[in-house]
Amino acid sequence: MPRIKLYVGIWAGLVVATIMEVVTRSLPGAVSLLTLTILLIASAKAIFIALYFQHLRFESWRLAVLPISAIIGIALLAISAAFSMNMGG
Amino acid sequence: MTDNYEQPEERKSSFMPIIIAAGVTISFVGLVIFIPLFVVGLIIVALALLKVFKDDSEEKFSQLKEQPEEQWPLEKAGKEKVGVWVFIMSEILIFGSLIAAYFYVRTNSTTWPVATQTHNPIIGMVNTIILLTSSLAIILGLYYIKSGKTFGLKIGLASTFSLGLTFLVIKLGFEWPELIRNGFTINSGLPASTYYALTGVHAVHVAAGLVAVGYLLLRAFNGGFTVTKHSGVENVGLYWHFVDIVWMFLFPLFYLI
Repeated sequence: MPRIKLYVGIWAGLVVATIMEVVTRSLPGAVSLLTLTILLIASAKAIFIALYFQHLRFESWRLAVLPISAIIGIALLAISAAFSMNMGG
Repeated sequence: MTDNYEQPEERKSSFMPIIIAAGVTISFVGLVIFIPLFVVGLIIVALALLKVFKDDSEEKFSQLKEQPEEQWPLEKAGKEKVGVWVFIMSEILIFGSLIAAYFYVRTNSTTWPVATQTHNPIIGMVNTIILLTSSLAIILGLYYIKSGKTFGLKIGLASTFSLGLTFLVIKLGFEWPELIRNGFTINSGLPASTYYALTGVHAVHVAAGLVAVGYLLLRAFNGGFTVTKHSGVENVGLYWHFVDIVWMFLFPLFYLI
């Protein structure tokens, strides 16, 4: 079981990352680059929550296969559906 | 065969998950065709949940000892936790489908309103921090009960419940009415319907989490958790963190980009 300091540290990092997202939105620059940056920060936050708050960092890697397989599955379905619709299928 | 399996009366199975699934199905069908049916479905779900909570508080769902070959390949996790992760897998598919549909609609639309003109990013940010803090509270509650400190668990669960409720009040009590007053209704186009669909489904998940956390809180006050008996807190925590993760994506998608 990790120590309280680790949990509070992760939480503080997540709060700072959230503020960074809002600040990034108001920065000058290409919209596509800012959008990508914001989505990368959001993904990093999600990974940290899964690793430390959901304890995947401390579990067997076999358990992590469950959510990862669902993410890969839905990504493949979404890509194939979008491709199919764009092809008029 | 072990002794456990030679004594069928020791197996504590429950039909309630099937009843809950039927209730949810009736609710969804009712939502589309006949609103009173929706209410009937909700009542069925509520009664079944009460039965689950009652059985759980009477320790009827204690795990049977498994043989090593039954535990493979997730020996360390235990089947309760594996069950929660399989449930989370199904939730990933639900939210993944909705978010993928949102991306598809948005990238194929010729126009889309600027996020910050429709939604207030500061309110979104505050709600994000509230949800992150609620995740911290439930993980600290788990930490404390693992250390034998029941008071810490109660504070953690009470904080999680209060923060989750605050999130919903801000979302449904202030944000949605304000948006509707400004003409941003569910029928006012794809930007609005995708927003209400995704944040609405997420809000339902937060509400379901609140029911679970509320139950844990009552059990904690009745001395239901100890150093060795706290899997309920851990499992509900896994779900609560997942709801948090979903919001980590909904916040930038609707409030920032």
